[in-house]
Amino acid sequence: MILLNCPNCGPRNVQEFRFGGEHNPRPAAPLAVDNAEWTDYLFLKANKLGVQKEWWYHRAGCRLWFLAERHTQSNQVLKTYCWTARPNREGETCVE
Amino acid sequence: MLNNALYRLEPQAGETIDRAQTFTFTFEGRAVIAHPGDTIASALAAAGVHVISRSFKYHRPRGVMCMAGHCPNCLVQVGDEPNVRACQTPAEPDMVVKPQNVWPSLKKDAMAFTGLFSRFMPVGFYYKTFIRPQAMWPLFERILRRIAGLGKVNPATPPDRYDKQYLHTDVAVVGGGPAGLSAALAAAEQGATVSLFDENPQPGGHWRYALPAPDDGPLPDLAAQAEAHPGITVYPETTVLSCYEDNWLSARRGNRLFKIRAGAVIFATGAYDRPLIFDNDELPGVRFGGAAQRLLRLYGVQPGKRAIVVTANDGGWRIAAGLQAAGVSVVAVVDERPESEAGAVSHVLQADARVFWRHTIRAARGAGAVEGADIAPLDAQVRPQFIAGDLIVINIGLTPANGLLYQAQTKISYNEDRAEFLPETLPAGVFAAGRVAGSHAGATELAEGRLAGRQAAAFLGLAPAPPSAEITALAGQKAAGPKRSSARVDVPGSQKRFVCFCEDVTDKDLETAIAEGFDSIELLKRYSTISMGPCQGKMCAANTIHLCARHTGQSVAQTGTTTARPPLAPVSLGVLAGQNMEPVKRTALDAWHRANGAGMMVAGLWMRPEHYGNPPAEVQAVRERVGLIDVSTLGKLQLTGPGAPDFLDRIYVNKWQKLGVGRVRYGVMCNDEGVVMNDGVTARLSETTWYTTTTSSGAGAIFEWMQWWLQSGWGGEVHVTNISEVNAAFNLAGPRARAVLQKLTDADLLNEAFPYMHVRHLTLAGVACMVMRIGFTGELSYEIHCPTGAAHYVWERLLDAGRDFGIAPFGVEAQRILRLEKAHIIVGQDTDALSDPISADMAWAVKLDKADFLGQRPLRQVAQDGPAQRLVGFTMARPGLVPDEGLQIVRPTAAGPEIIGWVTSSRHSPTLNQTIGLCWLPAPLAGQPGATFTIRMNGKLEEARVHHGPFYDPQGDRLRI
Amino acid sequence: MSFKLIKQAFSSGQPPPMWKPQPLKDRYDVVIIGGGGHGLATAYYLAREHGITDVAVLEKRYIGSGGSGRNTAIVRSNYLTPEGVRFYDESVKLYGQMSEEFDFNVMFSRRGHLTLAHTDGAVRTMRRRAEVNRLQGVDSRLIWPDELARLCPPLDLSDHPRYPVQAALYHPPGGIIRHDAVVWGYARHAVRRGVHLHQLTEVTGITVEKGKVTGVNTRRGRIKAGTVLNVTAGWAGVIADMAGVKLPIATSPLQACVTEPLKPFLDVIIVSGSLHVYISQSDRGELVMGAAVDPFASYSMRGSFSFIEGLAGHMLELFPSLRHVRLMRQWAGLCDMTPDYSPIMGHTSVDGFLVDVGWGTYGFKAIPVSGKMMAQLIATGQTPDLIRPFRLSRFEEHNLVGEKGAASVGH
Ligand SMILES: Cc1cc2nc3c(=O)[nH]c(=O)nc-3n(C[C@H](O)[C@H](O)[C@H](O)COP(=O)(O)OP(=O)(O)OC[C@H]3O[C@@H](n4cnc5c(N)ncnc54)[C@H](O)[C@@H]3O)c2cc1C
Ligand code: FES
Ligand SMILES: [Zn+2]
Repeated sequence: MILLNCPNCGPRNVQEFRFGGEHNPRPAAPLAVDNAEWTDYLFLKANKLGVQKEWWYHRAGCRLWFLAERHTQSNQVLKTYCWTARPNREGETCVE
Repeated sequence: MLNNALYRLEPQAGETIDRAQTFTFTFEGRAVIAHPGDTIASALAAAGVHVISRSFKYHRPRGVMCMAGHCPNCLVQVGDEPNVRACQTPAEPDMVVKPQNVWPSLKKDAMAFTGLFSRFMPVGFYYKTFIRPQAMWPLFERILRRIAGLGKVNPATPPDRYDKQYLHTDVAVVGGGPAGLSAALAAAEQGATVSLFDENPQPGGHWRYALPAPDDGPLPDLAAQAEAHPGITVYPETTVLSCYEDNWLSARRGNRLFKIRAGAVIFATGAYDRPLIFDNDELPGVRFGGAAQRLLRLYGVQPGKRAIVVTANDGGWRIAAGLQAAGVSVVAVVDERPESEAGAVSHVLQADARVFWRHTIRAARGAGAVEGADIAPLDAQVRPQFIAGDLIVINIGLTPANGLLYQAQTKISYNEDRAEFLPETLPAGVFAAGRVAGSHAGATELAEGRLAGRQAAAFLGLAPAPPSAEITALAGQKAAGPKRSSARVDVPGSQKRFVCFCEDVTDKDLETAIAEGFDSIELLKRYSTISMGPCQGKMCAANTIHLCARHTGQSVAQTGTTTARPPLAPVSLGVLAGQNMEPVKRTALDAWHRANGAGMMVAGLWMRPEHYGNPPAEVQAVRERVGLIDVSTLGKLQLTGPGAPDFLDRIYVNKWQKLGVGRVRYGVMCNDEGVVMNDGVTARLSETTWYTTTTSSGAGAIFEWMQWWLQSGWGGEVHVTNISEVNAAFNLAGPRARAVLQKLTDADLLNEAFPYMHVRHLTLAGVACMVMRIGFTGELSYEIHCPTGAAHYVWERLLDAGRDFGIAPFGVEAQRILRLEKAHIIVGQDTDALSDPISADMAWAVKLDKADFLGQRPLRQVAQDGPAQRLVGFTMARPGLVPDEGLQIVRPTAAGPEIIGWVTSSRHSPTLNQTIGLCWLPAPLAGQPGATFTIRMNGKLEEARVHHGPFYDPQGDRLRI
Repeated sequence: MSFKLIKQAFSSGQPPPMWKPQPLKDRYDVVIIGGGGHGLATAYYLAREHGITDVAVLEKRYIGSGGSGRNTAIVRSNYLTPEGVRFYDESVKLYGQMSEEFDFNVMFSRRGHLTLAHTDGAVRTMRRRAEVNRLQGVDSRLIWPDELARLCPPLDLSDHPRYPVQAALYHPPGGIIRHDAVVWGYARHAVRRGVHLHQLTEVTGITVEKGKVTGVNTRRGRIKAGTVLNVTAGWAGVIADMAGVKLPIATSPLQACVTEPLKPFLDVIIVSGSLHVYISQSDRGELVMGAAVDPFASYSMRGSFSFIEGLAGHMLELFPSLRHVRLMRQWAGLCDMTPDYSPIMGHTSVDGFLVDVGWGTYGFKAIPVSGKMMAQLIATGQTPDLIRPFRLSRFEEHNLVGEKGAASVGH
């Protein structure tokens, strides 16, 4: 991956972006979860060799935080899309 | 002066030199005559200089071998520049060229003795020696270092200009030989924009210097057609260096670096000569077929006087004929094929030329340069016969120049039939054509180029894909075409036989390494250092694979290859760096600061005034009168919308819902580990507008942090805008601050109307400003935010207004002292990557009882368990002693001093005339004001005392006046 | 010159092999996954110190193919935390004895390590480190430009650079070493003591029954073992996942490069934290250079162009006279980055499944000591004090190691 497809701006050089780490949602109620779940959220990583869902930020562009699915061996990006509260629809790229 | 005429021929068709002009340069102090268009090496060859360098390890004499910039044998020092490839570098008037790695001279190199000891220096020699006594190793190391290395760096090298250029193209064609040119033309005909790169001064590839095969017919002038085509841009003298993902290429021309984004790439990079391993195979006078032809055709230089041509293909015969035509006497042609396999070798050789079928060379003979060769039949065990001559032309096969194809992740495999490593599976958008893909006849090179051009256009959707029948037909044509390379990489022998010229590794070394267990190609490479030299294996990698396969009993295919790593050709740091682009941020007042005697300091990307000559006096001005500091570097964020307080509540440890309009509050931001990330003040400007400041260095990161939470679920009726550079900011501080400010506004500034920790929109000297009454310094102070464009004007009006009140500008150093007198922390200095706000003495800010916020869970834990370490103030028992920041706090124990904390901030306080500071201490100790502990200073333990709260004006009365 | 070399010079035979292939058994007491320095050192110390020789080291490619053969071989102990300093100092001491112990010259060159400070904040951190180091008996001190100029004449100490050099942390015992030699030395001596070394043997699965490890699956068949050690650095997460263990590790590439060989020019190691670059000159004369870890997590070892561009720019800020020097080769290795820039050593939630991972960009220097400590842990079942701070459970205890400041670019 040298090119990354910003859902807003289109394909741009990866140097325009900041990597935000693997997708790892915060527990909805941090005080309610047990220590294992909290530790998992804070520190543990799937660190997948394969397709990983992850965050990117278009720092030198539109300042969008978006999600990408990227193969961590080949760096090939399969798709990019915006975060939504509900599951993303197929083919959806950004906020409706 | 060296005689230029010794080897220079009559003018040759297509030569690159301009004989009308001559100039001189020096080589090892002697003048050499050259023509424009000569390279350093061609001029040296014309003058009969055969030895140009000494080898890396054994300091053996070496001469021009490849004339193509691949082998290491012509590396020289040119002025300040080390490791220059003489064969590729144009000669220039008055150039100072010196041999490298020799002392005192090329002829009498003192280090050549290492060659005599070579039997004691087998592969892995260094690992096996100088072990005992260990104390001697540093000395041995120094000697070894001096023997190694090639060129020299001149520490006084002056700077130069370099630049970079981006190129965007549909199709990038790498290599301007027949295949590359026809590919470019074919792609352009389909409507693609094409950029064609070639490292030579003119495109044409091997057609520029190779004698044509008789059945090739007249060669079309593709170069002229390409130059004329509007869709094609030709970049001569441009070396493509690397290929990364998404067809991202880099290339170099002179001091310019190109970064190229291509829709498709066609690699038509050709091939280079492959060495044959025999006794003394690198004796000066052993030259590749390509070198002989280039010297002849491009520079009009005879590569020798009496040639022995060693070959395995018809091309060798054409070279022999060409040499002969140039007046070189061809004493022998040695062909490893039986006569029956040779094509129509129709060229007539001189009658006295001897022809040896099914023969090969066994050894080069001569002291310092070729004097002849031992020739022997391939398989019969007969004694070799000696043939005299001063030039041995090796033309037994080619190595496809596939480095970039490897970089592009092409699957390349060994083709037994062709005895070459050829592309097997190409990645999408990557194509190969010509000799790199195994085409060795003019017609197939052209056809393959055209096909690749059309395929590239088809890949980009510009044209229909070529029919597969055409592709298959071409493959058949290639397979049936002439074979260029012999599967034989070495012949038997008994003397030094170099596989790797750069590293002086012999075939015996390889065999030994394999026997020692380094039996995979990668281990072999690392242990023997083969292919790790300046040519990066271009000369030796293929042969090494063959030898490794033989010694391990595997096939060449099983043995595999080592990874080809960028760059393809060495590239200077200057070219890679380009112009210095380090960003510098300056505030709107930068020029004013400098003009007024400020000592500037680096603060992240910013430059800030550290002081205006006398920090204690600046402190005094603030404490007694009034001072003004430029704090424009603060991060400034505007939050708008009714959702702002909810969002702030989640992001900060503080509470925000009840902050009234016109009020300001200090806030601390943590992450979910409970670690302090940043601090600053937040003002509520209206029901739905909030203004937040962050630390200077944290502005960008905090904005991104907020954006992340907003865009991943915590958004809703709030927007954050980064206005850090939109507004400038100053802090007007001191007991007379109000009086100064009042001169610029009619607004009521009295305490009741504009109290501490409040914000007001004020018009100052006619400029709309936002003013916060806050106090990092501990004095009555106003933080004035105004549009950056008006910054200089407002600043000067404030100074004018303050003149009668004794106003003085103050810098960062004075501010640090002022804040320390108030025991205010600096995030990142007094806290580190593990500090939480409760331990850092800011428990008052942490509202554990509010709804979910970042850091709540771990901070609850800290609050429950109590901090282990605490940040507290301290004073020193001994007056005048200021422990430097970073010093350790230790407790003496029987086992020696034990570290229990460290000093984060310390200064002499001019106001209190004593040492003050902040430090981390174990919580029980930190909890007792007046308790003593010891700081280690210069090895001695100095007593310090715990201090709670601000050192100056503990009640904060002065802030509220 | 050693007697062995003289003998070799006059004999037609070959020197003895460093290691010989052994048959792959279907069970071992201890299976070590990963033939890098850490795996091989653990095997060696298990055999040498504890007499445990029924050990297999399984390596998917060849030994040293991971970080241990790709690093820039900086060895130092001037860390920031006392626990870090103690630990790495023990390692430096073991490195000092290694050539003699192995009768194999690992070319440990203690030429001095300098970390430049370009800001007052960096000066403060360097002083903090120097003080902590000295209190642990480690030679380390803050020096100023005059002394720096003597130690490293080509360094630009003027105020021309964007970030002028203010001071440096000087660590005289810091040095570089021949990384491959370390790997081969451990391999040779582990094998001589009975350890089985299996290259081209990739582990594809780990079997766990009732919370206890029972063996591994490999491309060459199944192997039973009661103790399985994961020492796969960049691949640590992949291997741990096979045992159902999740680690606080993200794998990121770290890149490095070398220039063509030059005559001796630079006698010390120079690291710049602010510019994120470092440089040393190898005994062969090449300048070995590196930078900070890549900006995004990946298992790709292709490297990037932006790395060499950025590195060259920053290097010329430090050494403007290097502009003609040619970069010859770039490469990447994988680093197993932890949140607190400290390793993870010891037990996991699966009985018998141990880890020695999280070595990030700095694990080469730790090979001897961690091999020794892991061997002791495996042999005795007790976690040695020296590595207790690095236990995996520190994350759920929220008791991280504070090494972030010192480890990031320093390697
Ligand atoms: C460019 C670079 C520079 C560095 N510079 C320094 C430095 O100057 N100083 C320093 O101290 N450290 C440095 N490091 C870090 C250091 O190299 C590593 O921390 C260290 O080498 C880790 O050693 P290891 O034995 O744990 O892992 P590795 O050497 O990476 O070995 C792990 C092995 O596991 C194998 N493996 C993986 N998966 C499997 C499987 N499924 N089955 C079998 N085997 C498997 C791999 O092939 C590999 O050989 C650097 C790293 C890099 C990349
Ligand atoms: S010949 Fe150049 S690296 Fe071997
Ligand atoms: Zn965008």
